[in-house]
Amino acid sequence: MRLFVVLFAFLVAAVTGLGLTWFASARGNGFGAVQIGAWIAWPKSGTADADPYARAAFARSGELPLELADGVAFVASADDDGRTLDGRCDIRIRGKLPPARLWTITVYDARGRLIDNAAERYGYTSAEVVWSADGTVEIVLAPRARSGNWLPTEGRERVTAVLRLYEAPVGLGIRAGETEMPMVKVENCP
Amino acid sequence: MRRYALLVLIGLVLGGLVHLVSVLALPRLALDDAFARLARLGPANAVQLIPDPTPFAATLPRMDPAFASAACVYDLSAGPLRILVPPTPDYLSVSFYARHGLAYYAINDRASSRRTIELQLMTAAQRAALPEDEEITAADRLIIESPTEEGIVLIRAFVRERGEREAIRARLSEARCGAMG
Repeated sequence: MRLFVVLFAFLVAAVTGLGLTWFASARGNGFGAVQIGAWIAWPKSGTADADPYARAAFARSGELPLELADGVAFVASADDDGRTLDGRCDIRIRGKLPPARLWTITVYDARGRLIDNAAERYGYTSAEVVWSADGTVEIVLAPRARSGNWLPTEGRERVTAVLRLYEAPVGLGIRAGETEMPMVKVENCP
Repeated sequence: MRRYALLVLIGLVLGGLVHLVSVLALPRLALDDAFARLARLGPANAVQLIPDPTPFAATLPRMDPAFASAACVYDLSAGPLRILVPPTPDYLSVSFYARHGLAYYAINDRASSRRTIELQLMTAAQRAALPEDEEITAADRLIIESPTEEGIVLIRAFVRERGEREAIRARLSEARCGAMG
């Protein structure tokens, strides 16, 4: 009986402890997240000051974070209103981008893989995108081909957009309310 | 009933400890971390081209497909290493990661005035062992101190035009990561 009691407490400990670690390392990259609209960045995770949660998350996924002196990555997996980025809908990304020497925007599936498509288009770079006359950019993620800056999602249920700014002067100074990021909107859902 | 409530409480407190310990230990226990994935590309202390990511295969998750990349998985136990990266036509960065993926340094083509990037990579102990006079000239030889004996040097070059990719990859394959001398 006593053995059972001790085992029970240990079981609760193991389940809560390892469960928390499992979820913490699968979602997000630790503390110090900066959220601007739909976009989330973890600028500190690309420095030697990365916290234990960021280190655990990267070790588990096998991803190497962008070193902050190299660039900073913003991830969007939901739109400005919190709606999941659903590849069966049109996902419109529009607006001004923070200053950077160059930027890239890439679409991944829920597991962080590129999405197979006939055009072999996985993203845009600041060098290839068609800019609007007012210096803004409009990119649409959609299942079917369309004019303008189109990124195929092949109708995947969940997609993630990653905007990477290289040699961006903002760096650790990124702040909500001060750094302008493009808006993200899910529309025309089937 | 009360006894079980107490047990659950003890369990939860212990669970908190288990959580903290497992988060701290995870980088050391992860079997398929970036170091392991890149080490499979070839021997350590040499530059290996990383295959361009495709929807079906990627060496590391969430790589930026707009870049061509190469890596040198290093082991400083036999001594410091010299790293040479020739310039490419556009943005080029060299980033340094400790054994368990901690990013600790990066330099790009602009910081190196678009010339060949030349760096010396060593541990703190190896740097302390450098002869005094060499330390003085260290200003123009960029010395990078690695917090761990093993680690990763990641070299990434921006590919502006699709047609440039092969030429840029060929350029990256000229990068060197090896013993000094």
